Amino acid sequence: MNAHSAPNPPVILRALLLAFSGDAHCELVAGDLHEEFLCLCEQRGQGVGKRWYASQVMRSLPDLVRLRIRSGELTRSLAVLTCIAASLLLLDRLWCFVYSHVPWKDGLDRAAGFLAVNLAVLCIASAISGALARSARAAALLSLACAAGAMAGICASLSAAPAWYIGAALLAATASSLAGYTNTKWRSQ
Amino acid sequence: MAKGDSVGEFEFLVLLAVLRLSGDAYGMRVRREIAERTDRDVTIGAVYATLDRLEEKGLVTGRLSDPTPERGGRAKRSFQLTGAGVDAVNRARRESESMLEGLAFPLPGGSR
Repeated sequence: MNAHSAPNPPVILRALLLAFSGDAHCELVAGDLHEEFLCLCEQRGQGVGKRWYASQVMRSLPDLVRLRIRSGELTRSLAVLTCIAASLLLLDRLWCFVYSHVPWKDGLDRAAGFLAVNLAVLCIASAISGALARSARAAALLSLACAAGAMAGICASLSAAPAWYIGAALLAATASSLAGYTNTKWRSQ
Repeated sequence: MAKGDSVGEFEFLVLLAVLRLSGDAYGMRVRREIAERTDRDVTIGAVYATLDRLEEKGLVTGRLSDPTPERGGRAKRSFQLTGAGVDAVNRARRESESMLEGLAFPLPGGSR
């Protein structure tokens, strides 16, 4: 079986494997399954190979997720999510305090300037968290955590958030985190 | 003996598989060795989870090799037993033999 005609495992299952397994084991497990998959395809046909691959991936997921939790990868993402949400909440409380000292302003929507400060803080926090990522996969997970943290912080805020602000916050969190990772990677090369 | 030094049943099987494969014991070969010899349907996830635990206990050590085309350009990690791993296997064998001593097999009253 040459490299050109060699069968490939189902894309969805490969994606599932990459999404759920941690940095330390992702490549090893994918390589092992690929090797055995090729063997099975050659000996017993592609159908058997694909069924075997699907069964291995689906039944291995709980163990792989447990390994990922033990490696601390998910804990880091949770910590980033909490920090981002907390920083946006603290800023919201600060703006509440400021508005409470301005007559007729208490309870009104935030001025664009205040929201811009929120976005700036969000960008800095996301960039720092992205810079801590050790791999592209970890950076992608952290950028998701940043976006989720931004959404949680906005949802828990006392004031109503305009749609443009929500969109900008999600975009800023994701982009800054990935930019932080890219910058660190580029500097280290 | 501290509690962390003892090995469970599947850990014992993985240690024995690593020992049998001497030098070329990586995830899929360990899985295949156990599956063929015990007729169990073992998953690769379970094997890596166990190898990770054994490495944490200091019973095995892993070494990363270069990527190969038959693995889709991915590297593999070969494991081997440490001195503590060899001790653990010897101890587990002694314990099993001691418990089996004097019993006649197959035991009467089983389903087969």
